Order: sequence, then C-alpha cells, then structure tokens
Amino acid sequence: MTDVAVDKSAAPAFTGIGRVLGVARRSPTFAIGFAIVLVFALMAIFADVIAPYGPIETFARQVLTPPGAEFWFGADGNGMDVFSRVMYGARYAFGIAVPAAIIMLVIGVPLGLVAGYKGGMLDEIVLRLMDVLRSFPSIVLALAVVAATGQSLVNVVLVIGFLDAPIFARLVRSEVLGLRSSGFVESAVAAGNPTWRILFVHLLPNSIKGATAMIAVRMAWAVRISATLAFIGVGIQAPTPEWGAMIRQGSEFIISGEWWVALFPGVALVGVVLGFNLLGDGMQDLLDPRRKATGK
Amino acid sequence: MTVRSFLLRRLVLVVPILLGITFLTFMLVRIGEQDPVAMLGGPMADEASLASIKAELGLDRPFFVQFGIYLGNLVQGDLGDSWQSSERVADEIRNRLPASLELLIFSVLLGSLVGVPVGLRSAQRPNGLFDQVSRFVSLLGFSVPTYWIALMAIFVFFFLLQWAPAPLGRLDIAAFPPPDVTGSYLIDSLISGNWSTAYSAASQLALPVILFSIIVAAPIIKHTRAISLEVLASDYVRYAKAQGLRPRTVRRIALRNSITPILTFIGTELTGLLAAVSLIELIFAWGGMGQWGLNAILLGDFAAVQGYVLVLAVFSVAVFIVIDLLVLLLEPRASLRA
Repeated sequence: MTDVAVDKSAAPAFTGIGRVLGVARRSPTFAIGFAIVLVFALMAIFADVIAPYGPIETFARQVLTPPGAEFWFGADGNGMDVFSRVMYGARYAFGIAVPAAIIMLVIGVPLGLVAGYKGGMLDEIVLRLMDVLRSFPSIVLALAVVAATGQSLVNVVLVIGFLDAPIFARLVRSEVLGLRSSGFVESAVAAGNPTWRILFVHLLPNSIKGATAMIAVRMAWAVRISATLAFIGVGIQAPTPEWGAMIRQGSEFIISGEWWVALFPGVALVGVVLGFNLLGDGMQDLLDPRRKATGK
Repeated sequence: MTVRSFLLRRLVLVVPILLGITFLTFMLVRIGEQDPVAMLGGPMADEASLASIKAELGLDRPFFVQFGIYLGNLVQGDLGDSWQSSERVADEIRNRLPASLELLIFSVLLGSLVGVPVGLRSAQRPNGLFDQVSRFVSLLGFSVPTYWIALMAIFVFFFLLQWAPAPLGRLDIAAFPPPDVTGSYLIDSLISGNWSTAYSAASQLALPVILFSIIVAAPIIKHTRAISLEVLASDYVRYAKAQGLRPRTVRRIALRNSITPILTFIGTELTGLLAAVSLIELIFAWGGMGQWGLNAILLGDFAAVQGYVLVLAVFSVAVFIVIDLLVLLLEPRASLRA
C-alpha cells in the first residue's frame, strides 16, 4: 500500500483478472466489501435453491427448536426454519436497497445537474429542501412518513429513495458549480449543443464521481433503516422473512433464552450493511487516492 | 457585536426554522392515512359519535384554522393533549425528557472519551495497524443495528451471566426515585446521599449506556481521524515541525486546532442521537421521551408527534447555539461576526 502513486499510473493498463487484482491491492477495503456483497447477492438470487424449507413453511411441533441438524439456525416461535428465512431475507435487503438507490439517482442526479447549471430559483429550492431534511433526524422522518402514507414494501422503498435523493442532488450540484464555466462546457455551448445534451452528455460523466462512491454507503443506510422500520413494526410485517421483522419476532424470546430467533437475522443484517459500507469506503479511496494518503 | 446581541440574532433566525418544522409535521400527520377518529371511536362507533369525536378533537375545521389554533396555543406553552392518554403533551414530555437525556448524555460522554482519543491516535499513523483496526471497528459500529446488539447484550449479560439487572426501566422495583434535582436518577441519588438507589440507577444505566456509546463512538472515530489528518497536513503544523519543535509540542499544537471542529461535529450528531436513543429506550423499557415519541408516531397521536418533533428541533437549535458559544470561548480566532 506504499506504492499508491505507482499503482495509479499503472491502473489503465490492467485488463481482466489483472485489473481485478490491481483494484484489490489498491483498496483491500473495497475488495472485502465487494466479496461480502457478492455473497449476499448470490444468497438472494439462489435463496430458493439454498433454503431447505419455504420461508413461511411452518412445523407446528418444532416451535422454538434450538439450532441442530434439522434446523441449522433453529426454528422460530411459529415453527418456521430460521435458516431458510434468513436466506430469503437477502431478497428483501436487495429488493429494497437496489430500487431505492435507483430512485435516489434518478431524482437526485438530474436535480443536481440542473440546479448547479442553471442556478436561480431551482437551486435555492434544492438547497432549502436539503436544510429542512437535514434538520429532521432520518429515523423519525422515515418512520413518520411510512406510518402516514401507508405501510407497504413499495412505500418503504419510495420513502427511502425520496429522502436520500437530495444528498445526491447536493453532491452533483457542487461538482457542476465548479465545472460550469470550464473550457469544455463553454465550447460545447459555443458549438450549439442543446442544454439537455450539455447536462447529460458533457456534465454528467464529469460530475458523477462523488455520487458513485456515495451509492454503496446510502444502500447500506437503506438496508439498515428499512430493517429498523420493520423492527419497530412499521412497513414490512411478520411473517414476511425480512431481517428486521425477524429480529422483532425474536426479541420476545431473548429474556427466556431462545437466542437463535433474533441472532441469525441480525448477523446477516450486520454482514450486508458492513459489506456495503466497506464497498463505499473503498470506492472513495479508489476514486480519491489523496484521501487515503493524506498525512503521509 | 456583543455576546448578547449575537444570541439575540441567533434566536431570531431560529424562529422561521422552528415554524417550518412545525408546519411540515402538522401537515405530514394530517395528510396521512392514520385516522385517530376511527381509532378512538372503535369499530362499533356510528356516524354521529364519530362526528362528535371529530369535532371534539377540532379536526372538523379547515386545515389552516387548525394550524392557527395550534400556533396560538403553542405560543402560550400549550402543546395540546395526547389522544391516547388524554394527558397534556407538554407534561408528558417534561416527565420523560430527563430519562432520555440521562441516557444520551452519559453515552455521548463515554463515546467521546473513547472515540476522540482513538481517532487522534489513528491519524498519527494513517494506514498503520492501529488505524486499520480502528477504521474497521468504526465501520462495524456504523453497521450494527442498535436494537439488535442491545437484544444480544441482554441475552449475554442478563440471561447467561446475570451481571446486568432485568431490562425493565431506570430503577429496581424496590428502589424509590430520588428527590428531583437534575432529572438524572444517578446524579440525584448521589447528591442526596442515597447509596442504594444510586447503585440501582447505575446498574440499570450501565448496559444501555455502554451499548449506545458504541453507536456514538463510530462516527466520532471516523471524523476525528479525518479532522486530525487535515490539521496534521496543514501549513502551520508543517511550520512547527520545520522549526524543530519537539513532537510532543507539535502534537499539542495540532490537538488545540482539532478540538473545535471535533466539538462542532459531536454537536451536529446530538439531535440524531436523541432520536436514535429511542430504540435503546424501547428495548430497555426506559420510559423516556423517545420511546413515547415512537409510540405516538405508530398510533397516529397527532399532538404527541408534533410535540416530539418540535422538542427534537428545539434541542438541535439549542445545541448549535451552545456549540457556537463554546467555539467562541475556545477559539481566539473565531469572531462573533462569522
């Protein structure tokens, strides 16, 4: 890790597997995060293959069976297999994080582009919106909006996506502000490009860097907050095999010693959130080598 | 500008922010699907009784009239009544806020006492072993859900080891609350010299405070490290080194310049933490404002939700003003004009 500068100049020459190894060497954080997220993604895709039982298949005689050969992670209070439910839970984690991230980008990025390029009223509105959203603690806002707008998976995704869109708007906006009067934009204007072309063809690729590094971090937040909502009992309800809802079910057995109902979905939740966080942290290192090397 | 006129100006600037937040919350709870009239009436209520409940709550009036009445009462310190308990919201908050603050303040103190030194040490040798480990631990703290780690800790320390008391509130059932001075059971019982109550309060506090301080410390480690790295790379630190000052002296100069941004950062975190502490309260049956606020949101208790959000907003505004004043005291370069 001492040869950051050398790696950087050599990076474009990497192809295929060499490139992958190069990235892994430059940021082990990124590589570990990527590996973790990949494992959970595979878990989500192949949940029905891996899981020995259905996610809401009940075994009435096996209620609260401790982990063992038959139920690897034990059985919960409804006699459902915790292992199978944890596997299926990955689908909810990605099923929330991925569409929420798309909403954040689809709303936030164009808003930031236009606000930064045009300035004026729209810019003012985006900034004020950001201020207001920041003054609310995110958990209270998300909880209040989901509770008010109706409790469904779709609403949870929409609320998370909308709440985070201003973050991307602000990131892109600040980049665009710096680029607005640069040479390539001015020549694009002089060449007679329409505004949408300048925004999306010329400015977008040059201002998206900060936002890409942020995606993984916000996806981590999306998984976390949706699970928190489900734990409180808002949005996704039991017996849906969502990790937060499963921890909620497990919480009543903690004092009586049936730890496995709450433990395993929590481990999965920590794993996937940590994976996304490592990925985001590593991405920031890769995109901004100075960040890591500062102080050296 | 004197400190007094600075404070006055800040207080005037605060009014539109609080008004905006009040209005947004007011609107948000009302446009939603939650219907307190149907909830209060129950499934057997007929049209007439539903209408009378609606009139009693004032919900039959136009939106802006309702908001006007709410503001008018607010100015007189009346936050309305909770519909679940029919208590006054202001009283409910006054009774519960100290419990939340006790948890929050002890956790933030502990989290800062651990997080700041760890962050500073990390910045001394970036990418060294200590730094790698502390960065990973900090990311882990970002990733662990508060409620889950609390449940696991209760299992280990209450069920298995029996070190911690039952997670059922702020005091043992056998102990009496101490006379109210600061609102913190621990401090109040120490002041009044009631050792057994103090012991009970401390043992109830220990586990939630330690757990929550992990959540508090994670972002503090991350930002202290970043702030310290920036200061260490600054011209004045380089100048100090070039002068041949002893490393200890250089570190002292760097530390002095890191304190204010770190303090500001901790301040910005506090409001979010006051909201987040509600999850810990929920699990330890703490009976604080956060637990009550969560419940109010779930039940669509409009006046209570409005009161809860307003208190969070006032708290955040107050913290910022206090931080600004602290920065003024600590930082000779800062001026009231800035």
